[in-house]
Amino acid sequence: MIVGERKPLSEIQEMLKGYKKVMVLGCRTCVAVCMAGGDKEVELLGSLLRIAATKDGSRLEVVEDAVERQCDREYIEPIREKVAACDAVLSMACGCGVQFMAELYADKPVLPAINTNFIGVTESTGVWTERCGQCGNCVLHLTGGICPIARCSKSLLNGPCGGSQNGKCEISPDVDCGWQLIYNRMKQLGQLEKLAEVIPAKDWTTSRDGGPRKIVREDVKI
Amino acid sequence: MSSKGNAGNGDVGVSRKVGAVMVVGGGIGAMQASLDLANAGFKVYLVERTPSIGGRMAQLDKTFPTNDCSMCTISPKLVECGKHLNIDLITYSEVQSIEGTAGNFTAKVLCKAKSVDYSKCTGCGLCQEKCPTKVDSEFEAGIGKRKAIYVPYPQAVPNKPVIDREHCMKFTKNKCGVCQKKCPTGAINYEDQDKIIELKVGAIILAPGYDPVDPKLRPEYGFGRYKNVVTSLQYERLLSASGPTQGHIQRPSDQKAPHKIAWIQCVGSRDAQCGNEYCSSVCCMYATKEAIMTAEHEKGVACSIFFNDIRAFGKGFERYYIGAEKDSGVKYIRGIVSTVREMQRTKNLLARYVSDDGEIKEEEFQLVILSVGLRPSKGSKELAELAGIKLDSHGYALTSTFRPNETTRAGVFALGAFLAPMDIPETVMTASSAAAAAAELVSEERGSLVAQKEYPSERDIMGQKPRVGVFVCRCGTNIARVVDVQKVVEYAKTLPHVEFATESLFTCSTDSQKTISKAIEEHNLNRVIVAACTPATHEPLFQDTLKEAGLNKFLFEMANIRNQCSWVHEDPVMATEKSKDLVRMAVARALKLEPIKQLQSPVTAKALVIGGGLSGMTAALSLARQGFESYLVERSPKLGGYLNRLQYTLEGDNTQEWLKKLVGEVEKEKRIKVFTDAEVTEFSGHVGNFHAAVKTANKTEKVDAGAVIVATGAQEYQPTEYLYGKSPNVLTQLELEEKIAKEPEALRNANTVVMIQCVGSRDDEHMYCSRVCCGQAVKNALRLKELNPAAKIFVLHRDIRTYASKELAYKKAREKGVLFLRYNPEHKPEVAQTNGKLSVRAQDVSIGAIIDIKPDIVVLSAGIKPHETNPTLGSLLKVPLDRDGFYLEAHLKLRPLDFSSEGIFLCGLAHSPKYIEESVAQARGAASRAASLLSKDFLTVGGVISVVNPEKCVACLTCVRVCPYGVPAFKDEEGAVYIEPASCQGCGICAGACPNKAIEVQHYKDRQVVAKCKVLCEVSKT
Repeated sequence: MIVGERKPLSEIQEMLKGYKKVMVLGCRTCVAVCMAGGDKEVELLGSLLRIAATKDGSRLEVVEDAVERQCDREYIEPIREKVAACDAVLSMACGCGVQFMAELYADKPVLPAINTNFIGVTESTGVWTERCGQCGNCVLHLTGGICPIARCSKSLLNGPCGGSQNGKCEISPDVDCGWQLIYNRMKQLGQLEKLAEVIPAKDWTTSRDGGPRKIVREDVKI
Repeated sequence: MSSKGNAGNGDVGVSRKVGAVMVVGGGIGAMQASLDLANAGFKVYLVERTPSIGGRMAQLDKTFPTNDCSMCTISPKLVECGKHLNIDLITYSEVQSIEGTAGNFTAKVLCKAKSVDYSKCTGCGLCQEKCPTKVDSEFEAGIGKRKAIYVPYPQAVPNKPVIDREHCMKFTKNKCGVCQKKCPTGAINYEDQDKIIELKVGAIILAPGYDPVDPKLRPEYGFGRYKNVVTSLQYERLLSASGPTQGHIQRPSDQKAPHKIAWIQCVGSRDAQCGNEYCSSVCCMYATKEAIMTAEHEKGVACSIFFNDIRAFGKGFERYYIGAEKDSGVKYIRGIVSTVREMQRTKNLLARYVSDDGEIKEEEFQLVILSVGLRPSKGSKELAELAGIKLDSHGYALTSTFRPNETTRAGVFALGAFLAPMDIPETVMTASSAAAAAAELVSEERGSLVAQKEYPSERDIMGQKPRVGVFVCRCGTNIARVVDVQKVVEYAKTLPHVEFATESLFTCSTDSQKTISKAIEEHNLNRVIVAACTPATHEPLFQDTLKEAGLNKFLFEMANIRNQCSWVHEDPVMATEKSKDLVRMAVARALKLEPIKQLQSPVTAKALVIGGGLSGMTAALSLARQGFESYLVERSPKLGGYLNRLQYTLEGDNTQEWLKKLVGEVEKEKRIKVFTDAEVTEFSGHVGNFHAAVKTANKTEKVDAGAVIVATGAQEYQPTEYLYGKSPNVLTQLELEEKIAKEPEALRNANTVVMIQCVGSRDDEHMYCSRVCCGQAVKNALRLKELNPAAKIFVLHRDIRTYASKELAYKKAREKGVLFLRYNPEHKPEVAQTNGKLSVRAQDVSIGAIIDIKPDIVVLSAGIKPHETNPTLGSLLKVPLDRDGFYLEAHLKLRPLDFSSEGIFLCGLAHSPKYIEESVAQARGAASRAASLLSKDFLTVGGVISVVNPEKCVACLTCVRVCPYGVPAFKDEEGAVYIEPASCQGCGICAGACPNKAIEVQHYKDRQVVAKCKVLCEVSKT
């Protein structure tokens, strides 16, 4: 899932300066699950903005709404009238949702209320951690199901660096060394010998280095 | 009432038993027994000596080991007892005689003149306020005052006063009469007379509780002479926010906060001189609790506890004790104070004691608290006499190990501190157990005497415009003296949709209920608001009136203009304005209220008992005697569990004989279906309606049950230390016990025996006391002494925790020459073996020396560890384990036999280590808890519960993770979470946490609450 976090209120207020009527638009997929942009957060942010506006005497009308997914045209199309009635849309979706909204409603400023952080998992309620670096060429079968790209701070492919100490990464005592995790897991699987094989230098063109990515599936395309 | 569960012995000609039970006493034990019985379909007469129920627990500030507020936990039970249709509270009354036999008793009860007519009294409290006579309050343990007409404490049930004729001037001098003049309802009756009533009951439960030992028995501590020496019960009142100092710790001599406080343990316990040789069981922990609470109240207070042994033997106690020392800085000093002297000028106290290293020391304290022991309550001897039951040498009810609630008279049962000194959870367990024993006796009369209320069918209000009625209460002058009630009524009439508004003197009085009923009918009201006191106590009453008038009870709302206005504000104008605000808010919410349909969910009148040891068998047998079938699932090929390995008890019972008898009874009992070599492999459903699969060697059987009892026991710790398994002469206590019973000859030559305590207990891996090992060591040491009186027996221990009457056996062992040497955990004994000969090197702290012993055998007091199946079975049943790995009950104090998941109960070693009699009591208690449920045909489910809107659910699982009861479950087929109405407790945590607002709590929907908030900010238009 895409994990995001709401921006500080002051930053959002700054963005909204000059607008009289704003729509706070939630997204009921990833950001709802990671408690950043579902219906509850929409209501909370809506209330916060109204309280803040009342406090500093500015006039701001806030409309609250949410759709199933902001990254699908069919879901964001039906709110056209509501969008038209506002000066701006404050999207609580991830970066994709914000952009897709902006694309569809080209004449309307669409502003981000969320910082999109990473692709990750819910470790426990309120704790999310990154798992995937979207490199476009998965190596998890070589590394015991633990991603060296996302879990090693340096994205090393062939074992830890000198900064690995007592199982932790040198960047912070709270961060596990990804390669220590890989080593432990491979040991548990009885496949330590696989680590002796050198993983060749990675072709990063499948990742961000190859520019914006696109997938076209001829078999399903209509 | 249901005919379910009737034992149905249709003997013609045998006089019928009576389906009612008399419970004597009004403390937490009596209350629990009464509730269990009344909920299981029996009529209960609760006879209490004082004017109200609540007993000792109501006096306590906090409770160990959770530091929960005592009053907050007991209060809902007080209310439940008070309003229960089938519990008659007969307070201010004493039993005079008990005639008849089991199943058919006649009890005469003297009801002392209360001088107040309870049918007229509304409990407004004016009499109490105006009474000029002040007397020492029993409730405040003598450090606070009450009036001559009084309710013992603010939350008391019944919340109506009595006149103490010994002190009332009307009775002593024929003067005054103020209360009669002031009473707004004419309830005061000086001519009231004592009267005697006769109760017909099938069984009797005695629960007279305890009194603290008189601290003057130890004059050297100066209680009564030195102001700053108080008892522990007085200190509870000093700590309590509702106590005479409002919770500020002030010492009596100068009302200043003390900075150095000492507790002296064992005052009137373990002391032959004062006649109490037993241990009072609870003082170590309550002193620890008081010290922790003191440290919490005021930083920097130095708390010292002088003790003999710290007896932290109960569930969670060891961690609590460690925490007190480590986190709260409580100083534990081993050694008992010999004298206390008062310093003339400062009124500080000098305590003289012998320290652990044998030195005589003196230390100055600003306050000294005597940890007074427990003794049977005043009057319990007379009660025993008239009930015809025998007491033990210390005045506790005489019972036996395997029948821990049964007195010497059939049909008369005992519970709580009348059995032995015990803490609250033990009392609650023995209370449920006594209830089960009574229910077993009269089970065929279940339902014969209970009242059932019939209601008219509910009016459909769908599509109707809201029509609101507002009833504003004067509460005598309680509200009206500050709030202008008439103005509030006039204001209410101006609010939208209000069709009717009126005031009344007491809205809770019987005629006011009629007024409300009539108004609902005449004005076709479909929403009702009462502006009066708190819904916590009065909402059920008014909701019942709505039901009687054919309205759904959820169309009701209260505005608390007493607690939130008249009690806390002095300015009548402002208080009246605030009352208007509260009424306006109540109306706003009422407009949004919806009727909620509650459903009837059928109950399968069978139980699934998991574990076929002593506890499981006892629970299944008790249920069978109460008329309920059960499935008893035992994992091993043989019933008996841990008991198979026990040979005899400290009290001299032959356990194997008992076990044989018990297994025989179980096998004979038609209502019990036994599965051996079996385990529960599948589990689903909810309270009243569980489904399980029981797998045996050759097949898997599906069973349905309304309740589940977890009695899966525990295991003996397998020592890895002290050469266990490496020398044939190193045994565990259980192994020794078996040898003593089966091959005693082999032990006659054991001249030197070393026993080592706390093996696999009280260490980093096992942060709990195994509770039974001290008693077990004493028991086996005494047996060895019988076999070979010349044997030298050394018991190497850390504290000897022989609580209650087990202390007497400890004393006997010392008298017989058993040597008890204390070691520090830092210097554990060392066991070595050379050429097959054992040697033990150990420290004896009290003489400060290292000693070498060459024993013939070394016996390890191996602890009890949680059963290895706990994690798997726990997750299958979705019930939690505690930090040590034992099953965790719903509430350590008041729900010790219930899991937080409704309909699942626990008992025996699965709960924590314990003795046989405790397991039996728990098991029977769990059977009582289950029977309350199984005796119902239907459970009413729904109401204030959480409901998921599957359309909005994003399946994030947040609710699944946050629910403390494990209720929300993801349904694959719907792709959304479902909350089972029968299991939901309505706490609302999930609704608050849901990130997509897919969950709402019925009756507390966002729009209902928001409506209230919105109108708060509107200014009233008068």
